[in-house]
Amino acid sequence: MSKVWYIMLLSSVAALLFTNPGKAVTAMIAGSHASVKLAIELAALYGFWLGFFGIIEKIGLADKLGRLLHPVVNFLFPGLSKKGEKYVTMNMAANLLGLGNASTPMAIKAIKEMDDGSGKVSQNMIMLTVLSSTSLQLLPTTVIGLRATHGSVNPADFLIPATVATIVSTILGITLVKLIGLMLKKRKSKKEKKKAGAPLPLSAKSL
Amino acid sequence: MTEYIIPLIFLTVLVLAAIKKKDSYSAFTEGSRSALSLMANVFPYLLTIMMAVEVFKQSGVSYYLSKAASPVMNLIGIPHELTELMLIRPLSGAGAIGVLENIFTTYGADSYVGKCASVIYGSSETVFYISTIYFSQSSVKKLGYAIPVALFSTLVGCIVGCAVAKFI
Repeated sequence: MSKVWYIMLLSSVAALLFTNPGKAVTAMIAGSHASVKLAIELAALYGFWLGFFGIIEKIGLADKLGRLLHPVVNFLFPGLSKKGEKYVTMNMAANLLGLGNASTPMAIKAIKEMDDGSGKVSQNMIMLTVLSSTSLQLLPTTVIGLRATHGSVNPADFLIPATVATIVSTILGITLVKLIGLMLKKRKSKKEKKKAGAPLPLSAKSL
Repeated sequence: MTEYIIPLIFLTVLVLAAIKKKDSYSAFTEGSRSALSLMANVFPYLLTIMMAVEVFKQSGVSYYLSKAASPVMNLIGIPHELTELMLIRPLSGAGAIGVLENIFTTYGADSYVGKCASVIYGSSETVFYISTIYFSQSSVKKLGYAIPVALFSTLVGCIVGCAVAKFI
């Protein structure tokens, strides 16, 4: 992300220097303004959904849903703590319903739970990011509304191709994460074998 | 139909709370307590990304980059009018909505381009934004192969979706 961000910013400001230098700072400040507005909106949305989640948790519904989805979650996120599993389950449920803003606070908590403080990314974290990015969305409400306002005769008729697209991307994403995880594991164990064999010639040298 | 689902879930939860004799009021306040501190953690990332995306769009760099990438898009079967949407979508949801509205007014929501744009928006996510925000409270700084895999899977999904849209 930091590289993409850097290149984006550098090229944009450099381009504006030639075309319209006065615009550079105005545009950056406009973006900052928009972020404050969004932050306030998101704080309200997070508060609302976290509050709702508070009730769901209190009445034990979160645990029930967690138990129901346990086989799926356990396959996708092996070795996850109970708390983490609950957050992941709620994140997936919110994503399915197209509630992106409700799924975000759950994901932040899930990642925090998966974090072991080493600063290293784990396969479960990557799986959660990929899964949310390819989000198996059942109701893209925003687009349906936007199409209706732009005079579409049948605003929901893109749902079939959109669902196909998200199913394809989700399955592909899961497969890739699992495959890459397996490959990395193999490479790691190979390295460890090499390491285990290495000390001998070294000690022979020192002799 | 769809507008009933969420309120119904809400209602069910409230009724269940009453049946189980739990105090929904205090549970809700307890839950929403962490919203502001969560936002305080997320905010710097939000500002950093949105500041750069805005100047990226306004400088015209995104437009020229889209133009340059158009032949590639044609090759993989996505209308080249949608390149800018594909470019902005992983970065900013609000920015992508703006591009999507533009496409709808220029080509019409029911045209193939409009439909394909809906598929792309509806089946993808703000990958860069998500991954930054998700990790905002963790010690992890490098995300490994998360972003490339997410972007690639989304792209393949969009290509398939646009192909399906041709027949519907």
